[in-house]
Amino acid sequence: MTLSTMLSTMGVGMLRTFAVFSLTLLGSLPLGMIVALLKKSRFAPVRLFISGYISIIRGTPLMLQLLVWYFGPFYLFGMNIGNWRFPALIFGFVVNYAAYFAEIYRGGIESIPVGQYEAAEVLGYTHTQTFMRIILPQVVKRIMPSVTNEVITLVKDTSLAFTLAYQEVFSLAKQISASQTSFMPFLIAGIFYFVANYVVEFAMQRIEKWMDYYK
Amino acid sequence: MILEMKNIQKHFGDHEVLRDISLSVDKGEVVSVIGPSGSGKSTLLRCATFLETIDGGEISYMGNCAVKTKPDGEVSYVDAKDLRRFRNYYELVFQQFNLFPHYSILKNLTDAPIHVQGRSKEQAEQTAMELLDKMGIADKAEAYPYQLSGGQQQRVAIARALAMDPEILFFDEPTSALDPELTGEVLKVIRQLAESHMTMVVVTHEMPFAKAVSNRVIFMADGVIVEQGDPEQVFDNPQEERTKQFLRVFER
Repeated sequence: MTLSTMLSTMGVGMLRTFAVFSLTLLGSLPLGMIVALLKKSRFAPVRLFISGYISIIRGTPLMLQLLVWYFGPFYLFGMNIGNWRFPALIFGFVVNYAAYFAEIYRGGIESIPVGQYEAAEVLGYTHTQTFMRIILPQVVKRIMPSVTNEVITLVKDTSLAFTLAYQEVFSLAKQISASQTSFMPFLIAGIFYFVANYVVEFAMQRIEKWMDYYK
Repeated sequence: MILEMKNIQKHFGDHEVLRDISLSVDKGEVVSVIGPSGSGKSTLLRCATFLETIDGGEISYMGNCAVKTKPDGEVSYVDAKDLRRFRNYYELVFQQFNLFPHYSILKNLTDAPIHVQGRSKEQAEQTAMELLDKMGIADKAEAYPYQLSGGQQQRVAIARALAMDPEILFFDEPTSALDPELTGEVLKVIRQLAESHMTMVVVTHEMPFAKAVSNRVIFMADGVIVEQGDPEQVFDNPQEERTKQFLRVFER
């Protein structure tokens, strides 16, 4: 196998990795906010449910969660899981990352001084306006470093898709390496992850800098 | 009558902070509230502005009742939507300013008029610039709160409150968080407002200021109004022993 065939085969895997990465962020960033807000709900059963969800997600390996998402429907409901691989993967990642983002958001929301809420209340803002116009923009700025951390972890965690035999860059690297008895695929995969995270770091730095207009 | 508070009671746990306090403020009146810390002055303002809920009594603005206590002791507020309508009547200037750090000075002054009161952007900005001019900080319109001194920030906070065009303005120790050399510029602004007959209730520790600007001084201690009257009477000829004792501390 020439280097260029190797690269083009793995290129497909890179696109799949990118799909997992972007769909996970697209789903978990907003879902995390909903979870964070539900955790502050007035209804105790809701709070309890959310706490349980976060504990389970943080307390078990993501690899195990992915396997449960994939095989669970078959063992529990006898569902045909033929086309279920990719959806299971995305559900697993989104639900997992949402729990972590929720805790980051919650920390951010709780760090906003109570005076901000009081000033908004006296000025007559509704609760929704207060959150969207006054609180959330300040939260976003404060949580940026933690979110960056999480996003970088996600880039590397996409390799866990290997567990479900989803042919992303890491699975392909392992396959090609075995069939061609070559170390090259691992090197290519390594460079790919490193460059991807370099881009993430750069992008997040730009966003943080952009938000630096106030303190 | 702009504000009428009747028989207000408030306790935190077992601690009674306000015991049966009544206070009414007429249009154009400037009322100073003085007293030792822990006397309930700030709590009184926080109850008037609905940041705290009362445990008994009645509060009305412009003759409309916002909260009353039934004969069986149950306190009933109007619903949340109506309560927001009451918030149009007053504004509060906080000890810690509480400006919105992510908004420019101009936006701090225009955001609520536009999004709460539904005014046009042009009108809100014009009003804001006039107010900043009056406060002597028109050149800071595009700056952000962190770039301003404490005294400037508090003047912005006052302008933000005035931009809502309230009937009455409350001040909760507006100079207590400021370095002594910065209190003067804030007091000067409040004095100008008093001269233009803005209705105000000022909780303060600045005795000479209270004496100079107010029509009425209220001395509070232990959750009750011990003495009130015009400033000369309260400061120069206090009747109650508790008032004399408090004022002596300031003469030293």
